Amino acid sequence: MLIRLTIGLTTALVLVAVALAAQVEGRSVDPMAALGTPAGPPIEGDDLTEQTLSLGSKMRCPVCQGASIADSPSQQAVSMLGQVRDLFAAGYSETQILEYFERSYGEFIRLQPRARGFNLIVWLAPLAAVLGGGALVAARARSRAAAGTGSSAEDLDAYLEQVRSEVRE
Amino acid sequence: MNRLPLIIGAVIAVPMIVFLALALDINHDVIESPLIGKPAPGFVLDSFEGDSIELGELEGTPLVVNFWASYCQPCVYEHPLLTAAARDLTGSVNFVGVVPPEDTAEAVDRFTSRLGAWGPTYYDSDGRVSIAYGVGKLPETYFVDAAGTIQHKHAGPLDPQTLATALEKIL
Amino acid sequence: MTPQIGQGLVLLALLLCAVGSPVGFVAGANRSPVGLAWTRRLALGFAAAMVAANVLMVIALLSHDFSVSYVAQVGSLSTPVHITIFSLWSSLEGSILFWGLILGVYVAGVAILQRRGHEDYLAYTLGTALAIGLFFSFLIAGPANPFAATPAPIPTDGPGPNALLQNHLLMAIHPPTLYLGYVGMTIPFSMAVAALLRGQLGPTWLLPLRNWLLVPTGLLSLGIMLGGWWSYEVLGWGGYWAWDPVENASFLPWLTAIAALHSAIVLQRKGTLKAWTVVLVMITFLLTILGTFLTRSGVVNSVHAFTQSPISPLFLGFLGVLLIFVIVLLSLRIDTLVGEPTKDAPLGRETAFLVNNLLLVAVMFTVLIGTTFPIVAELVRGVRVSVGEPYYNRMAVPVFLGLLLLIGMGPALPWGTSDPKKVRRALGRPLIAVPIGLGVALAAGAREIGLLVTVAFASYALWVTAQQGLDPARRRRRRGEALLKAFGESVARAPRRLGAYTVHFGVIMTFVAIAVSSTFQTEREATLGPGDKLEIRGYELTFEKAEGVQESNRFRQTADVALQRGGREIGSLSPSINHYTSNMDPMATPAVRTAITHDLYLTLMNVSTDGSIGLRAIVTPGVLWIWVGVFIMVGGTALCLVPPRRRATPP
Repeated sequence: MLIRLTIGLTTALVLVAVALAAQVEGRSVDPMAALGTPAGPPIEGDDLTEQTLSLGSKMRCPVCQGASIADSPSQQAVSMLGQVRDLFAAGYSETQILEYFERSYGEFIRLQPRARGFNLIVWLAPLAAVLGGGALVAARARSRAAAGTGSSAEDLDAYLEQVRSEVRE
Repeated sequence: MNRLPLIIGAVIAVPMIVFLALALDINHDVIESPLIGKPAPGFVLDSFEGDSIELGELEGTPLVVNFWASYCQPCVYEHPLLTAAARDLTGSVNFVGVVPPEDTAEAVDRFTSRLGAWGPTYYDSDGRVSIAYGVGKLPETYFVDAAGTIQHKHAGPLDPQTLATALEKIL
Repeated sequence: MTPQIGQGLVLLALLLCAVGSPVGFVAGANRSPVGLAWTRRLALGFAAAMVAANVLMVIALLSHDFSVSYVAQVGSLSTPVHITIFSLWSSLEGSILFWGLILGVYVAGVAILQRRGHEDYLAYTLGTALAIGLFFSFLIAGPANPFAATPAPIPTDGPGPNALLQNHLLMAIHPPTLYLGYVGMTIPFSMAVAALLRGQLGPTWLLPLRNWLLVPTGLLSLGIMLGGWWSYEVLGWGGYWAWDPVENASFLPWLTAIAALHSAIVLQRKGTLKAWTVVLVMITFLLTILGTFLTRSGVVNSVHAFTQSPISPLFLGFLGVLLIFVIVLLSLRIDTLVGEPTKDAPLGRETAFLVNNLLLVAVMFTVLIGTTFPIVAELVRGVRVSVGEPYYNRMAVPVFLGLLLLIGMGPALPWGTSDPKKVRRALGRPLIAVPIGLGVALAAGAREIGLLVTVAFASYALWVTAQQGLDPARRRRRRGEALLKAFGESVARAPRRLGAYTVHFGVIMTFVAIAVSSTFQTEREATLGPGDKLEIRGYELTFEKAEGVQESNRFRQTADVALQRGGREIGSLSPSINHYTSNMDPMATPAVRTAITHDLYLTLMNVSTDGSIGLRAIVTPGVLWIWVGVFIMVGGTALCLVPPRRRATPP
C-alpha cells in the first residue's frame, strides 16, 4: 500500500514538475507531451515488430500515392515507422500512437476512415447495397419459382431456339 | 415510360456529377493543417556544423520554419524568394531551415555554396521534428507568430503572393 | 507543313463523325440499307482519318519535327527509337490522339466484321460509336490538340518523354493495353443503345455483343495485371496493388464488364435479364469515362495535383451528357426489353448467376464509394480523409471469397432445377477436393485461417472447373476416341465452353497466388557496411559495394549484393536509388530475382557517406503465379472468341 502511494505521489510530482518546466520554457510544447502516459507495459522482440508493421499498414505515407508507411520505401515512411516502433516499445497503445500522428497530419493519416459520424457512409453504404441487392435477388428467385409452375415457356420460345442453334456447341 | 431509371438517376447520378464538379475547384494546397492556431511543436536540433537550437530560444520573434532538402527541385525554385525575405526581415523574423534524415552535410553544403544560404539549416536526424509538424512532400513552410502559435502552413514551393500573405499573419 | 496536315486529318475525322452519327441514327430509324451503307463508309472514313493522323504523328516523332507542338513537348534527339514511338501516348495530347486511333480501329472492326449478322442494329451501333468519336475528335481538334504549330523559334531539341516511361518497358506497354480495354467498351455500349432504340434484342445482337465485350474485357484484365506488375517491378514497396485511385479506376469497369458477360449467359439460356444486361454494359462504359476523369483531373490525387489537366472539366461534362442520355433512353425504352417472366429454379444455376452479378456489382460499388469518398468528405467536412488498403481488405476481400466459392458452386449446379436431391448431389460430389487441398496446404505450413478458407474454396472450385471443362472430352473418350482427338474435338466444337473454364482456372490460380503472397511475406531490413551479410529465408546476401553514377537525366546510386543459397553462389542483384533532375523525390528501383516458388526482392533504402547502405529484403512466395494466372485468363478469353466448328453433316 505504502509502495503504491509512493509511486503515485512521485508520478504526480514529476508530472507537475514537467508541466511547470514547460511553463517556464514558454509556450512551445513538447510534441511528445500530447501522448500522455503509456497505456501499457513496454514491449519488445517479435511482438514489437509485428505490432509496428500491423499499425504501420494502417497509416498513410504522406509522400506516396496511397501506400502505407509499412509498405513505402521512402525515407519519410521509414522515419514514421521508426517512431511508431519506439512508441510501441515504450508501451503506448495503438490508439495513443494514432492520435499522436493525427495531431499533426490530421485524419488523412488513417488509411481506413474512423467509423463514426459522416464517415459511417463509407462503411455502411456498401453493406446496404449488398443487403438491398440480396433482397432483390431473393425476391426475384422466389417470385419466378412461383410464377413459373405451369408449363415451361422456355422450350416454346422461338427466340431461344434461334439463339441455341447459333450459339450452342 | 419507366420512372425507375429516372429516379435512380436523380438519386445517384446528379449528386455524383455535382460533387465531382465541385471537387474540381478544391485546391489541395490550402487544406489547413490541424496544427494551425496551435502552439508550434517544440524541438531541439543540431546543425551539421554542430550548433544546437531550441524552439524556446526563438520565442518572442516571429519564425518561419522551412522544411527542405538538397535534392528537392521545388526547393530551388523558392530559394531566391526566401533569400530576399530573410534579408529584408533580418531582426524581425527568424528563418530556420530543416533538412531530412537522408540529406548529408556535403549535399547541403553543395546546395548552399551554389545558391547561397538564407538562414541556418538544422539536421532532423531521425525525422521526428518533421513528423511533429506533419510534413509531407518537401518543401513545406510553417509560419509561427511571436507568441509561438502556428499561423499558416504552405505545402509546395512558395510564391511571392503566398509568402507575403503568410508573413503578414505573423508580423 | 506537318501541323497543318495533322490538323486537317483531325478535322476530317471530326466532320465524318458529325455527319456519320446522325446518318446512322436516321438509317437505323428507317431501316434503310442505303443509309446503313453510308454509315459504314463514313465510319471507315473516320477510322482511316484517325489512323492517318496517328501515323503522321509517329513520323513526326521519329523525324524529330519540332514544329509540331507535341513533338517539341515529348521528343528528344537522344531518345532511343522504341521509346520515341511509345512517347505517342506518354503525354496528355498524344494519349488522346492514341485514344482516337483505338476508337477508329474498333469502329472499323465493327463496320467490317459485323457487316452480316448484326444488320438490325448496325446503323444504330455505328451511329452511337461515331457520336462518341465526335467528342474525342473534338478534344483532339481543339482543347488537346497535339498538332498545334510550335510558336517560333522552333527548338532544335526537346526534353524527351516522362522519366518513368524510360524507366521500364512495362510502363510503355501497360497504358496502351488499358486504353485498348477502356476504349473498347464503347462498342458494347453502342450496341446496348442500339438494342434500346430498336426496342428488341435478338440473337444477332447477343452474339456480337458478347464478342465485342470479351475483347476489351480480356485486354483490361491484361492491362490491369501489367499495371500491377509494373508497380511491383518499379516502385520498390514489394507489392503489386495498393488500391490507388488510378488502379481502382481501371478495376471498376472490369468488374461490371464481367458481370455483364455472366448475365449475358442467362440471357442466352433463358431469355431473361435483357434489361439488366443492357444496363450493366452501359454502366461499364460510363465507368470508363468516370475513371478517365478521376485519374486525369487530379480530384482524387493525394498530395499535390501535379497531373491536373485542362480537359478534365470537358470529361465531366461528357459524363454528364452521357448520363442524361442513358437515363432518358432507359426510362423511355427499357420496358420494350422486359420479357415475360419465365420459370426459374431458386436453387438452380440461374440463381448462382444472379448472386455472381450481385457480388460483382457490390465490389464495384464498394470500390467506387471508397475511391470517391475522400472527395465527398473534403467537400462536406472540409477534412482530408484517406480510404486505403485496410478498408478494401475488410470490405472487398470477403466478397472476393464469395466469388471464389461461386466459381465452384455455380457451374456445379444444374440449370432449371431445385430438386433438393439433385442439388445436394451436384454440390456434394466436388467436396472431395476440399480435404485434399487443405491437406496440401497444411503440409506446406499454412495455418492462417484466411488462407485456409481460400484454399478450401479454391480446391472445390478447381475440381468443378476441371470436371466441367473436361467433361465433353471425357465423354468422347468414353465413346472410344483417342485422348488427343477427343480433347481437340471438344475444343473445336465448343471453344467457348473450354475458354470460359480456362478463365475460371486462371482466376482460381490468381486468387490462391494472391492469398499465398500476402500471407507468407518475409521482410528483413538492415544497415550493411561493405562485406556485411543479411540472411533471409535461406538466402545469404552479401553487400559488396555501392557506387554513384551521374547519368544524363538522373544521379543513380547502385548497390551490388551477392547472393548465396545453401552455400552456393547464385548470382547478384543490384538495387538502386535514382535521383531525377526533374521534379521528383528520389526513387528506389528494386532488383528482383524470380524463382518458380518465390521472389527475392531487394530495395535500396539509402546510401550513407561512410559507404554503408540501408537494405530491405523481401521474400514473397507465389508472385509469379499471379501473372501466370492472369495470362491464363486472357488466353481463355481469347479462346472464347474462336468460332465453334460446325458439324460436318448438314442438318
